[in-house]
Amino acid sequence: MKKIVDVSLPIGPVHPCFKEPARIKCETAGERVIRTEVELGYVKKGIEKIMIGRPWQEIIFLAERVCGICSVVHNTAIIGALEKISNITVPMRAMYLRIILNELDRMQSHLLANYSYCYTIEHETLAMYLLNLRETVMDAIEIMTGTRIMAAYIVPGGVRTDINREIATKICEALDHIEAELPRFVQMFATGPLIALRSKGIGILSVKDAKESGVVGPTARASGIARDAREHELLYTELGWHMIIRQDGDNFSRIMLRFDELFQSVHIIKNALAVIPEGPVRLGNRITSGRTKHTVEAPRGELTYDVELDENGQVIMISIQTPSIMNVDAGSHAMMKNLSSIADVTSTFISADPCIACAER
Amino acid sequence: MGALSYFKEFFRIEWFKKFIAAKTEPLQVPAYFRNFPELTGNECTHCLECKMICPAPGAIDVFQHEDGQWRPQIIRGHCFRCGYCVEICPEEVLTSGGILAKRHEQNLAFTHEYKVLMNSMLCMGCGNCCTACPVNREIEPNMGSGGTSVSTNVLMRVEKGKNTVLHNDLCKGCKICEDTCPNGAVHVIRHVEAIQTGEY
Amino acid sequence: MTLLQILKNIVRKHSIHVCYVNTGSCNGCDIEILACLSPRYDIEQYGIYVHNNPREADIILVTGTMSAQWIDKLPDIWDKVPEPKAVIVIGNCPISGCAFDRPGALIDPPVSKHIPVSAVVPGCPPRPTEIISTILNSADILFENYETKTERKP
Repeated sequence: MKKIVDVSLPIGPVHPCFKEPARIKCETAGERVIRTEVELGYVKKGIEKIMIGRPWQEIIFLAERVCGICSVVHNTAIIGALEKISNITVPMRAMYLRIILNELDRMQSHLLANYSYCYTIEHETLAMYLLNLRETVMDAIEIMTGTRIMAAYIVPGGVRTDINREIATKICEALDHIEAELPRFVQMFATGPLIALRSKGIGILSVKDAKESGVVGPTARASGIARDAREHELLYTELGWHMIIRQDGDNFSRIMLRFDELFQSVHIIKNALAVIPEGPVRLGNRITSGRTKHTVEAPRGELTYDVELDENGQVIMISIQTPSIMNVDAGSHAMMKNLSSIADVTSTFISADPCIACAER
Repeated sequence: MGALSYFKEFFRIEWFKKFIAAKTEPLQVPAYFRNFPELTGNECTHCLECKMICPAPGAIDVFQHEDGQWRPQIIRGHCFRCGYCVEICPEEVLTSGGILAKRHEQNLAFTHEYKVLMNSMLCMGCGNCCTACPVNREIEPNMGSGGTSVSTNVLMRVEKGKNTVLHNDLCKGCKICEDTCPNGAVHVIRHVEAIQTGEY
Repeated sequence: MTLLQILKNIVRKHSIHVCYVNTGSCNGCDIEILACLSPRYDIEQYGIYVHNNPREADIILVTGTMSAQWIDKLPDIWDKVPEPKAVIVIGNCPISGCAFDRPGALIDPPVSKHIPVSAVVPGCPPRPTEIISTILNSADILFENYETKTERKP
């Protein structure tokens, strides 16, 4: 049968809804979207190539600059891989501090993702509330590390600086503020009639499609797939982490899952601050040769670093597997297929929280 | 009557003031923010450790000023504001945000070690690296143009047509030899470890 | 200076439409521009409105290192902006290439090689306060007496 296509509509690369350049080619029949294709390649820089032949003190800055939104987790992943190769033990206090910073980073990333979604469906009030709440988290990160983004906080054998009682109290205050404010916004999102019209039952990613396309992170967990790299880390389970799953797989459940994870992150950080042990925060150690794969849970899903080092601790081979590429692919093949309106294309694309800078590097 | 109250509501002085004047908090940078490093006034000894650890290409350089003093200079537009130079400087010439205070409080330090690796398969014994090396130049100013030297105190010299590294511990890690080598035979390794000294 | 000119100066100073173009950045600077929109900093109270449409913009904010894909596209966007116009680059990447300015990278910094740049905001990434104060300070000078200015940009 001949395929009927009215208009082939390009969205992007510079578009108000996108934080980054990406182009979505939509094949439409009337208002209905038959098929979409995501075109990437606008921010390719070749970071893995320029990492080769460099020691850790230069790599961690390049790894952080893979993605500016989840910079902390890239730092954690590369240092985790280097420590795994060289059998470096990390002091307990540094492990707790790493978890605190990682969860703060996850909170600001999820708040930004939900901001983007609310902005895309033109609910600017809620978007601005969430963006203002994100500033509170950024303040907590800044008082802990000394800068807002690109903290370079994690080094082999520990972390850069310790936190004292005063900083811990200020982080707790910020978390209390978020715990007090956030339920109101979740209520607004969950019960707003217009939001439900724009979100519920739109961009459905079924379990079968999700398994086929290999989605990770909140996108997978919203479709009922229990997949989270944090389940292999003992310290997270001790601090009260548990898997959050939603079954619907539409835009609404993806955003609500991120709200649920925000509350969980607040819970984890508070537990960590309560039981953090005393001790040193960094015990440097020599990086040696070897090869390994290290997986951590980024705000968008599983992040894997495959690193090979020579005997002087310099990189011979590195490959980064970021979560966004699977989510973007699932978006174009499953979620954005047969949408009833062009206006839902951008919101469905944003609901998977695509990070183009991560995907292309 | 309704219209009058409407206008009365509309032309309020406070409303105009609030509408026109800026309402948010002033644009300030908190004291603990790691800004671009600034000079503290301590004397720089030209050890170049800040330049060697800097992860950004071309972000810091140490210049000799007209009064004969060496002073580091941060080049904006290249600097990341990571604060490594502040943390490693032995004389505490630079300061940025709360890093220097935390360094004193928590005994933070970086150890560093430099190593020159020679690939003897690629080396053709031209001696460019030996003559370019600033450590060699200081120890023996009369080094031959082919990189030959009678002194055994130099960092490296050409022996039997191949470059040989004699004293690795003298290396300052500047990578000038790596840049001048036409074959890519020299490689300088910079080992850095982040440690905490003393009691915590 | 005529009364009309004075009026134009005042209006231009208080109504700046901004379009940001990501030419291969890591998102760090982009989300700091987004943070300027938040009620904490509230960029719109100064009359700065983020449009993301080059045809309506006065100022283009360029972030990123000029990746290979953007070398032909950024001058096109610059041509679409109506006069008077200016470019402010945000972050280290468009100034120097930042950490990526190394052999083997697929980039072509600086941005000033491709389009004329009026102001720079160094930092990796710069704080929202730095971005706002740069836009405010430069907009006063850039668009003042535009009609009578002798040196026009090409």
